[in-house]
Amino acid sequence: MEHYRQNLRAFAAFFVPSAGWLLVFFVVPLAIIFVYSVSETISLTEIKTTWTFENYARLLEPEILTLFWRSLWLAGISTVICLCVGYPVALVIATAPAKVKPWLLLLIILPFWTNLLIRTYALLNILGTRGRLNGLLEWIWTQGDRALTFIGLGAYDLIGEDFEPITFLGRWSGVIIGLVYVHLPFAILPIYASLEKLDRSYLEASLDLGAGQWRTFRSILLPMTMAGVMTAAIITFIPMLGSFLTPALLGRGQVDMIANVIERQFKGANELPFGSAMSLFLLYVTFIILAIQSFAASRGSRRGIK
Amino acid sequence: MPDPIISIQGVSKYFGDFMAVEDITIDIEPGEIFALLGPSGCGKSTLLRMIAGFEDPSEGRVLIGGEDMTGVPANKRPVNMVFQSYAVFPHMTVSQNVAYGLKMDGLPKAEIKEKVAEALEQVHLSQFAARLPDQLSGGQRQRVALARALAKRPRVLLLDEPLSALDAKLRDAMRLELVKLQESVGVSFVMVTHDQSEALAMADRVAVLKDGKLMQLADPMTLYQKPANRFVADFIGRVNFFDVTQSTKGSAEIIAGPLGALTLPAPVTGTGEHVLALRPEYIRLSPAKEGGLTGTLGDVGFQGDSSIVEVTLEGGKQVQALAGPEDTTMLLSLGTGAAVALSIDLSQARLLPA
Repeated sequence: MEHYRQNLRAFAAFFVPSAGWLLVFFVVPLAIIFVYSVSETISLTEIKTTWTFENYARLLEPEILTLFWRSLWLAGISTVICLCVGYPVALVIATAPAKVKPWLLLLIILPFWTNLLIRTYALLNILGTRGRLNGLLEWIWTQGDRALTFIGLGAYDLIGEDFEPITFLGRWSGVIIGLVYVHLPFAILPIYASLEKLDRSYLEASLDLGAGQWRTFRSILLPMTMAGVMTAAIITFIPMLGSFLTPALLGRGQVDMIANVIERQFKGANELPFGSAMSLFLLYVTFIILAIQSFAASRGSRRGIK
Repeated sequence: MPDPIISIQGVSKYFGDFMAVEDITIDIEPGEIFALLGPSGCGKSTLLRMIAGFEDPSEGRVLIGGEDMTGVPANKRPVNMVFQSYAVFPHMTVSQNVAYGLKMDGLPKAEIKEKVAEALEQVHLSQFAARLPDQLSGGQRQRVALARALAKRPRVLLLDEPLSALDAKLRDAMRLELVKLQESVGVSFVMVTHDQSEALAMADRVAVLKDGKLMQLADPMTLYQKPANRFVADFIGRVNFFDVTQSTKGSAEIIAGPLGALTLPAPVTGTGEHVLALRPEYIRLSPAKEGGLTGTLGDVGFQGDSSIVEVTLEGGKQVQALAGPEDTTMLLSLGTGAAVALSIDLSQARLLPA
């Protein structure tokens, strides 16, 4: 490979288009957002750049703090669920026979071939009070009720007089289900990659030294694939935190996350400066998370975990 | 004879249609170094993994200390293994690695500490106890793996290609060290290797395997001097093969082949096609004189203390001879292409089934 300075034209041919693209569509808009965030709304149509920090100060209002806090724990819980569900799935794929493995991986990435909006509407259909999930629960309830009647306990209404559907939509439970559903593949793939890389003889060595399967998982497998778990956590948590569509549709305006409120600042509320400050704050939080992760990763690699 | 510590009884292993190990019966004695030797794919590693408990035999059974191990998982077997890659846990220090197996035995902390120190002492790693495996050389990592396995006081230590990942010089030193270590701890070592010189130098007894079948089981001396078949003769050391036809004439055995009519001192059974195996050191070369067996001198492969010399016989057959220091000087002065006489010590030749 030649050094790029020795072949400036070839380098420019590759560099300029992509750099130009990023400049026009990423750096410039971001700069505009930043300028907005230190501006004031003067009238319905006029925004004046006054280099004020007022918009950032407003982030500390209890209402906004509550919003941030809600977004953090919704994303946090969903991330933990993604990891707990994703790890076993990744393990199954990693240990599957070589012939089955590509098909299982295909199943994981298959949802990407369908538009997120359509998948979210499908979830509405499943999670509604008259949706498929409640239909299934009702069927189970009916069978249970019949069984109880059959053994002569029907009169006591042990499982309720009538089936009461569970409300998911417009509640945090529905939003969490949606977030987990959308982001689960992003959790499975990095964990799978780290499992795939792991030399099996470490696990055999652990068994050989007298450890059982569970102990081997806890003391060897999990620590040695922690880098994959961390990656999975980051790349699910960050987009979850900025999620818009899922809380908008499944939360029905009752479980707002940051992005929903930001959207309202730009559209309805005509509060471009405050919306910009919120957007940038979300960006800063993301940076902090990434910094923590890379710090942890560099410590991990010093301990020999790649 | 003492009871065998490991008894492999009629063990076979198939992977689908592939026969990895075929009907092998071997007894391993307490306190010996036993080598499973063969080319890659001969089933030696599979056999070791069946002793360790990572594979189940398709047929037959493995006994350790007289107990049937069928259905006993790896973590419940009284054997420990040193893996080819060493499999030293990278997220644990040297002493944590060694302590891992002892913790599984539920020993009290003080005893674990004592045993870890003792095991590290044994492999000369005491000053590295707090290091992470990343900060160790390959040879040191292997010692960690050894200490970790030996700290458990196994009835048998299994070693999978223990020296293959080390460089040549360290390998030679480690051979001797492993033998000394075995003598001091007294447990049986079962090692898998594809390197015949390693097996000959270290093992008390060697099982030579090919295509999952046991070709010969003997001590190194016997394997070298009295190979049971062509494969073993070829795999162990250097050898010349001569296709010969044997016919019985009176009490002596007369053989026709490229060496001419020969009379073998030891009687052999059967007549017909055979192969005569002769080690290079039993062919002596001298400047050509009238009569006798002669050939053309080829390359003299100088090795310092001796040379491997190529000679082409009159019929075109190539043979190898081993020349000592004086003979090497003499041959080098003759030069390539010179005529040389071969004198053969037939008492050391082996007649094997073709």
